[in-house]
Amino acid sequence: MEPQQLAGSGDAPPKQVAQAMDRLGRAARLIAEIRLGADRILEALLVSNENPRLSEKAAELTLGEEDAMRRHFLDLRTVGKQLEDSGVLSGALRSRGNSWGLHMPLVCPDGAVVAYAWKRQLAGQAGASAVDRARLALKAFSDQKRRFFPQLEDDQLNRSNNDTIKFPPTKRPRLSHRPTQSPNIDSTEQKPMLADILKSIQTEAPGVTISTCQRLEWSKRAESLASTMNDSSLEQPKEQILSNLSGSFNEVAVIELVASGVFRVLVSLHPAGSTDPDAVAFFSPNEGGSYLHSRGMSVHHVFKHVTEYADKALQYFQSSDPNKALSHLLSWICSHQSLFTKNCSKCSKLLAMDKSLALLLPPVHRPYLLNSKDHDQDFATAYHIGCSSYDV
Amino acid sequence: MPVKWLMHFQPNQGTTLTSQVMAEACAVAESFPGVSRDGRWRSSMTFYRAVPRDQSLPAPSDLPRDLIGISLHDLPNEYLFVMRSQRLILRAHSSVQTVMDKLQSYKGRFFINFEGLQYKWGDFKLRIGKCLYNPNEALRGIVMEVEYLPLSSIDKSQRVMEEFYEIWREAVASKLLAGQFINTEVNFVEYGLGDSYTPQHTAVLYGMCVVQVIASSNKNQ
Repeated sequence: MEPQQLAGSGDAPPKQVAQAMDRLGRAARLIAEIRLGADRILEALLVSNENPRLSEKAAELTLGEEDAMRRHFLDLRTVGKQLEDSGVLSGALRSRGNSWGLHMPLVCPDGAVVAYAWKRQLAGQAGASAVDRARLALKAFSDQKRRFFPQLEDDQLNRSNNDTIKFPPTKRPRLSHRPTQSPNIDSTEQKPMLADILKSIQTEAPGVTISTCQRLEWSKRAESLASTMNDSSLEQPKEQILSNLSGSFNEVAVIELVASGVFRVLVSLHPAGSTDPDAVAFFSPNEGGSYLHSRGMSVHHVFKHVTEYADKALQYFQSSDPNKALSHLLSWICSHQSLFTKNCSKCSKLLAMDKSLALLLPPVHRPYLLNSKDHDQDFATAYHIGCSSYDV
Repeated sequence: MPVKWLMHFQPNQGTTLTSQVMAEACAVAESFPGVSRDGRWRSSMTFYRAVPRDQSLPAPSDLPRDLIGISLHDLPNEYLFVMRSQRLILRAHSSVQTVMDKLQSYKGRFFINFEGLQYKWGDFKLRIGKCLYNPNEALRGIVMEVEYLPLSSIDKSQRVMEEFYEIWREAVASKLLAGQFINTEVNFVEYGLGDSYTPQHTAVLYGMCVVQVIASSNKNQ
């Protein structure tokens, strides 16, 4: 055992802190030794119980361990006394005047050690210790999950950022590892891939430009749209054609559909990279700014009403045909290219005064009901709010 | 920039235009449910004529003799010039008027002010105003500007604006005003302007509209 340096009050605070840390480390090692010693003693007792022939040897071992443990306890007591004197365990020296802004490391009641409380680094270190503890907790949790729920292993591999589990663990116990397969696959019907859906919509509606991006990319783009709109010296704001993440749709969270001069629609996918839409919003092609997102609301009445109706359509598609909800939604959105040109299917006018809202609006309600297995759903009709009956 | 249509009031044959018409037109606007008054508006127009440097020499033929300068209510920091003969429009900072005054290459011949009331109606903005000849404030016409905020494409908004125009005309007729509003039809392509609406489009509309207003006012006098 190395000779201990006495940390007198004449020592500079950094040295005292360093020594306190050293002693805490030593204390931890001693505690570990004591635990090991206790394990060995128990083992010796068990062995001698099972094997009476070895009982003498076991007794020798036990006595040896007992000596060692006694020494460890004494050392621990000494170290503990030193730590107590230097104020580590009680935090008594925190308010010492000449501590240079350094404080003694503190052992918290839950066992965590706050090493350095340098004023400059206070937040960082406290944060660091919190981060470490969170990481340890997560590791412990993951280990336990792996141990008790092995069938959820595949889901964990497939979903990058999200822990949403669609089906309860007991439904489909997974015995083979197939990381490339989506956990939502039903044995009878293949869920279409995002790239295929977008390609088919693009073919169906050539007048609509479709682009995709990640969530953070979208918020940057929304801001840049605001500055483009403000610059009225531009004859026409150039539509930035975002390149689709060719080949890699895993992180796509926002789909943007633009019908030139008519609308800009944002659809968000949740989780990112899936084909499950979770929100939709219509905007004027003039609009730009941070409020432009799938849960935002346009400043214009016409688009506000279309967005409200779109929420209902989305809920309907999600409940009636979840695997194809995105396809149906995108087709339905594209049918709005004629928002400002198609007359109402009931009154045959384009603009109508809505008495309750006191607004002049074009037909903003396009029925979304799907008819049985008809793939050629064209969503061709449109109604004013007052003209649409309750069941369309 | 949202699309706009500009109309002027054409009094019936034999009737003269009075300020009463302005009040009646505002009453028509206010009769629609949901319309709210949104303050006043004011634009102005200057008719410039070229001042030859040397009176004895003939004026160079490539320079325009007449120039219209327009200050729009929604662009206080800008000034637009329209050369109708050459079909050219220029956008400049509002301080160019000081430059014009100093240069004296063009002199303001006469001036027209537009002023009146502004209304908000859902996604539409209406501006009804008198067209006043400066300096004697003689009423030359009544104009109405209609703006549809959600759209900037002239082509895509055509049908919406047409239907609005019909609704407006029917309301005006039903209130028995002594005349009707006529829309200013302009071929923007001739001025090199595209489908996306800009202040240049507004300048051209005003230029054209004022000519019609003055013509109709002269006819009725």
